[in-house]
Amino acid sequence: MTEALFLFASIAGTPIAVRASEIEAVVRLGDIVEIPLVQAHVRGLAALRSRVLTVIDMEARIFGKGDRSQTRLLAVVADVAAHSYGFVVDSVSDICAAPQGVQPIRGRIDPAWAPYASGLVEREGHSHLLLSLADFVAAPGSATLAA
Amino acid sequence: MDEILGEFIAETLETLDALSGEVVAWEADPAEKSRLDAFFRFFHTVKGSCGFLNLPRFEKLAHHAEEVLASIRQGDRVPDPATVTAVLAVMDRIGALARSIGEDEQIPESEDDPLLDALTANSKILSDGFEIFEPLPAKAAPLAIIEDDESKVETAPADQSARNNGSGRERAPRTIRLPLALIDQLMNGISDMVLARNDLARRMRESSAAPDLESSFERLSANVADLRDMISKTRMQRVDRLYAAIPRMVRDLTRDLGKKATLDLDGGDVEMDREMIEMVVDPLTHIVRNALDHGIETPAERIAAGKPETGELRVVARQSGNQIVIEIGDDGRGINRAALVEKAITAGLYSAVDAASLTDAEKLNLIFHPGLTTAAKVTSISGRGVGMDVVRANIEQIGGVIGIISDQGLGTTITMRVPLTLTIIPGLIVRSGDHFFAMPRGNVVELLHQNSAMVAIEEVGGARIATIRGERHALVDLEDVLKIERAEITGPRTLMVIRSSVGQPYVLGVQAVESNEELVIRPASPAINSAGVFAGMTLPDNGQPMLLLDAAGLAQVARLPLRETEGRSRQTAPQAEAVQRVETIQALMYRERDGKHRLIPLAVVDRVEDLAADQITTCDGLAFARIEHRLVPALNTQGSEADTPKSLRLHAGQDQICYLIDDVIDIIEVPAKVDAALATGRLAGLVMVGETQYEMIDPFTLFAEVTQHRGEPMGTTQPIRCLIADESDPWMRSILAPLLVQAGHEVSFGTAATGSPDIILRTEAHAVHATGDVPVLTLREDAASTAATPDSIYRYDRAEIMAAIAQAVRRVA
Repeated sequence: MTEALFLFASIAGTPIAVRASEIEAVVRLGDIVEIPLVQAHVRGLAALRSRVLTVIDMEARIFGKGDRSQTRLLAVVADVAAHSYGFVVDSVSDICAAPQGVQPIRGRIDPAWAPYASGLVEREGHSHLLLSLADFVAAPGSATLAA
Repeated sequence: MDEILGEFIAETLETLDALSGEVVAWEADPAEKSRLDAFFRFFHTVKGSCGFLNLPRFEKLAHHAEEVLASIRQGDRVPDPATVTAVLAVMDRIGALARSIGEDEQIPESEDDPLLDALTANSKILSDGFEIFEPLPAKAAPLAIIEDDESKVETAPADQSARNNGSGRERAPRTIRLPLALIDQLMNGISDMVLARNDLARRMRESSAAPDLESSFERLSANVADLRDMISKTRMQRVDRLYAAIPRMVRDLTRDLGKKATLDLDGGDVEMDREMIEMVVDPLTHIVRNALDHGIETPAERIAAGKPETGELRVVARQSGNQIVIEIGDDGRGINRAALVEKAITAGLYSAVDAASLTDAEKLNLIFHPGLTTAAKVTSISGRGVGMDVVRANIEQIGGVIGIISDQGLGTTITMRVPLTLTIIPGLIVRSGDHFFAMPRGNVVELLHQNSAMVAIEEVGGARIATIRGERHALVDLEDVLKIERAEITGPRTLMVIRSSVGQPYVLGVQAVESNEELVIRPASPAINSAGVFAGMTLPDNGQPMLLLDAAGLAQVARLPLRETEGRSRQTAPQAEAVQRVETIQALMYRERDGKHRLIPLAVVDRVEDLAADQITTCDGLAFARIEHRLVPALNTQGSEADTPKSLRLHAGQDQICYLIDDVIDIIEVPAKVDAALATGRLAGLVMVGETQYEMIDPFTLFAEVTQHRGEPMGTTQPIRCLIADESDPWMRSILAPLLVQAGHEVSFGTAATGSPDIILRTEAHAVHATGDVPVLTLREDAASTAATPDSIYRYDRAEIMAAIAQAVRRVA
């Protein structure tokens, strides 16, 4: 059995992990065109070559509000349901295998994180919350715990 | 037409190829429903397309085969091997005929009869049937499948290709079919290339590259642009192509059916994905046939129903957000729900109890069910109830939706909505502060400046109304709808008259319309669509993503009334007018300052405005109103004005008059001819409006009056077109240009002689290539004429400049 690869990053100071099979690339975004009348976590549109990414602010999605002042954002690029998205993260540390796989969450996590975190992944002795990018695209409220 | 024919052939052969695999399976189990349906559909489609293309021979063959299959479907006939063989023989003949279109050598039509006989024959004559179509010429090669004659299979294709290389080659342009995915990839590749080119161009400008490098880049750049245009064209076609065959079909069908109908085609310039057009041709043909056959009644029936003898058939295509909407409407008898329900019960779809609880919409939707039709008898045109289920299957296959609205006795409208993915549409780029949005040009009826003479904006009970040429529209500002901040601007805002697929036209105020571009629209992600005002997104050449506005969505978010209440009345109005045959004009009813109600033709009224009292001056017995640095003659002044008198600004060509009034009352339709001509003084005569008669002003006398007072005609001189050569020069741009404009001249900037200027103005520093005999006027900075050029003029010598311009132009003339 080949070990699954994970992307390790951080959002709002919290270490997170995303299955590498979900993502396409990590890029530094250029200008973001803001979109009126959309929910707060939709930061806007960004061009990646001839593709247009819908930029999702994961922090804003989780906590309901985010910092809009930053520019040159770091984003994880992924296609979800035939649309291209850029998921904003604070930093990216590594892509590597997690020999111990996904483990159940121990302890009670912040309710804000609860709908998104589906497990823990360990890297270099630290636990990372496992997130699924697709959960950040679906309308809020319909997000379910990934099995 | 040739293109459509070519496609028909290609499509028929393709379907035949696909079906040939099913033939054996069908023979093994002829009663199998899905295969039977597939064959049935094939014949029906061929029949439909042939009517469309006027190929009676195909139509006849297909019709008979379809009839046989229909009776098998209904269980009236057993699909015995003889029948199957006969049907397949017809199929092959259709294939052979399709291949022979455009070639000189044709299978004689008389040879079709044995095939048709075989179809209708019972099994006794079966063995004869075989022999009858055996001695066919080699061109009917596919017959070999049935005959199982190997030598024919081998020789026929060779024969065929030889002929193709000969006479057939010039007829049809050579085409190949490509997978659309490949074209999509090409398209994406080109888009990347264009963006890379733009980036490179920007960098080259910044680093001021060597001229020879620049020229080779220019060449590359032009190539990329051409290439992109070509690739874009591979996918897009105008809806016109869909329409091409409809008029002929309507003409032929109405003649065959003994009916009368007018055809109204609209929106032919909407562009659609080629694939979409291919998918929509058949459904559209079916629906138009149905409308003529079942919808529109015979002239006698129509007259009996109190309708005009001639029916009306409308086909309208338009883009609505990220969809193309094609509407086929008739004013016929509508769909008979009771008959549909009865058929559904007979077919065992519903029990009588269930059927009673169906909603009206559900009843209507029964028409899309396979095997149901309201037609009492089967004709060669339609009526087997296959059309609509095929139509729906085709539309849904491309992700579209089909809807039907039918009023019993009033007509039926069928709406096909197909998606617009990867569609290129012309769009207007509008600006609101830092935001840029695209609006499909198809939705924009008209663009106006907010201060245009044709617009009057008022606020009534919170609603903003823009009256444009007498028509009232709801007015909303884009910034308000999108809840974004409104930027402070100096110039007037732009008003766009928007027509969306639903509801009434409305006026959208935007900060400015920046440009007009061809945009490749992609679907936006659900998070963006949830806002309800965006139809898609696009990436223009500057690399900044942009959202496409959805005209209907904006109206919805702005809570504009969407229901088209005028629809019916508008349809009946022209008829009523036609009966009376009275020509009308629009007239403005207003109250004179003495309280009398009068009319003035609306065409001469430029705008209604409130003047400030100090704007009006009397000078030597004649009053003038000062409007935007000009003096306009004013009529009806009462010495020194108080408050803010209302004024009608009248215009006739270059002349303008302010006609002071008490108030505006209404805009009404009046007969163009006055009922009692007076022709004395300012009045043209009396006009009857309802129960009252009004005096109609004769605008001509007003202008004559003013001109007479002034003694000389106003502003009849042609404006002079001035070209300012060095646009970067701040003095030229901000001092000279306004001066020239104020003097009534037209000003343009640039080095090239765009728009054939009458005179070119330049500074000493800027060399100008004299083009033709256009005079060049040099302006110097020093007051003394010591400069090199002798004919230069000091740039602050205004009188001299104006005189020189006038003189230079006169010299040319």
